[in-house]
Amino acid sequence: MIQFEHVTKVYETQNDENVALDDISLHIEEGEFVFVLGHSGAGKSTFLKLMLMEEKPTEGRVFINGQDLTRLRRRKVPYMRRQMGVVFQDFRLIPTMTVYENVAFAMRVTNISTKTIKNRVPFALSLVGLEDKMDRLPDELSGGEQQRVAVARALAHGPKLIIADEPTGNIDPELSMDIMQLFEAINKVHITVVVVTHEHELVQKLAGKYHNRVITLAHGQVAADTAHPGVAQQYEARMRAMGMEPVLL
Amino acid sequence: MRFSSFTYLVGQGLHSMKANRLMTLASMGVLTVCMILVGTAFLFGVNVDAVVQYMGSQNESYVYPAEEATDEQIQALGDQIAAVPGVSEVVFVSREEVLSQWDSMLSEYTSLYSALSEDNPMPQMFRVSVQDVGQMQSIVEQIQALPNVDEVSAAFDTASTFLSLQRVVNYICIGLVLVLALVSIVVISNTIRITVFARRKEIAIMKLVGATNGFIRFPFFVEGTASGLLAAAISSGIVCGAYYALYRWYLEHPTNIGQLFGGTLVPLQQVWYFVVGGFVVFGFVLCGIGTATSIRKHLNV
Ligand SMILES: Nc1ncnc2c1ncn2[C@@H]1O[C@H](COP(=O)(O)OP(=O)(O)OP(=O)(O)O)[C@@H](O)[C@H]1O
Ligand SMILES: [Mg+2]
Repeated sequence: MIQFEHVTKVYETQNDENVALDDISLHIEEGEFVFVLGHSGAGKSTFLKLMLMEEKPTEGRVFINGQDLTRLRRRKVPYMRRQMGVVFQDFRLIPTMTVYENVAFAMRVTNISTKTIKNRVPFALSLVGLEDKMDRLPDELSGGEQQRVAVARALAHGPKLIIADEPTGNIDPELSMDIMQLFEAINKVHITVVVVTHEHELVQKLAGKYHNRVITLAHGQVAADTAHPGVAQQYEARMRAMGMEPVLL
Repeated sequence: MRFSSFTYLVGQGLHSMKANRLMTLASMGVLTVCMILVGTAFLFGVNVDAVVQYMGSQNESYVYPAEEATDEQIQALGDQIAAVPGVSEVVFVSREEVLSQWDSMLSEYTSLYSALSEDNPMPQMFRVSVQDVGQMQSIVEQIQALPNVDEVSAAFDTASTFLSLQRVVNYICIGLVLVLALVSIVVISNTIRITVFARRKEIAIMKLVGATNGFIRFPFFVEGTASGLLAAAISSGIVCGAYYALYRWYLEHPTNIGQLFGGTLVPLQQVWYFVVGGFVVFGFVLCGIGTATSIRKHLNV
């Protein structure tokens, strides 16, 4: 489903170059649930941005469903994005629209018929348990509820892949578990899920219970990958060869 | 695109106009002023053209025979003038006729006829028409060379004055249109930029969920061109209304100078579609360009 082939991403700033990803290769299968961990600045968001085509790799190639994103025409980018759903730390809801409209809006801009929208929005909201709060404005909801609206929006157009960047970052810790459980439920219906997070303990609990894959990034490299135990050793050896202590988190 | 999408996008554009109504009103005001100026310049130009054309159609010269010439000599002169190549018509006008013409022209002020018919001071003359105004100069010279000719007065002096006036008016019109077009583009571009800024969050979300560029741009074009069309409608009303009033006033208050230039303005029926059509195109095209430039710059789509 998702494939990174020797991907390097360098951000050029005015006075220096910032290597965010350094020769990353990995493969995520369809239907997998992957947590991506890593210290701040490890390159996690960059990893997601390459999938979303918000950034282009400096070197290497990224494939989604066999399509090479680096060779995708600009005109085709929107259609590629329709196959994914995205959830962000800051929810990104439109404050002047009700919960219903926020979800409907995202469907409408992808040319879905009004009839389908009318059926699908309440359904998506019922999946996240918010069908009785459809007419509220985002401000009238808790952080956890707002994030669930964002999840409903990401789900509404029926994507094959859900990508989340620190979805629990702005939510009370007690509610983080709820959101993560929601992603696990989504994954149950064979939707591929990639969740970037800081919350190790939560990941430990969930990954153990649901057998999720955990990829750890450090300084732009894959430092560990539970699906490929060898990766961590290779990383350690590389670090030691350069005379550095391997840092994971 | 689906019809429901189309109506949705048009609705979005109009909604945005309402949300930014102060800015929309300001830009529409500027557009309207620009259009009124352009329309006024155009109508002025049209009337100058009409006068020039009228003067051209009045391409008559007057040949005054020498005072001492006898009737036979005058008659011979008439034949000689008619023989000059390029002359299409020669009509003899007696003193009587000249006087009665002036009399009818000035009938409002005085009765020339009764005062002067005893001792008519008006000169007799030949009214000479030429086929081509361009040849007027050489024809006049040839007639002047004929015997018993006292003076030749040609209309081409006034005609050429109007010709150069016409040229100046045309240049001014073109310059005005260019400057005001630029102003309109900048104004609309600015308005749309503000809208883009106000809606940047929505736009970012639209991009992420896979809205095509066309879909994102469309409401801005609706907003831009709707302002342009509304301004066109308002200016059409003002310009056509004001021109009609002027036209009526001119007809009802005839003046001698006015009579000399044809006595009437170009009627509204002949120009209104140019005015309205021009405004619509002006508004539509310029607002389209204004929207496009600002979307290019600030939307990154
Ligand atoms: N637009 C940019 N321009 C320049 N440098 C950037 C840009 N975006 C990210 N970087 C740099 O790239 C590196 C990786 O950034 P990234 O956002 O991927 O980290 P992250 O793992 O998501 O961190 P965090 O956990 O703090 O969100 C960082 O050093 C960051 O400073
Ligand atoms: Mg990040």
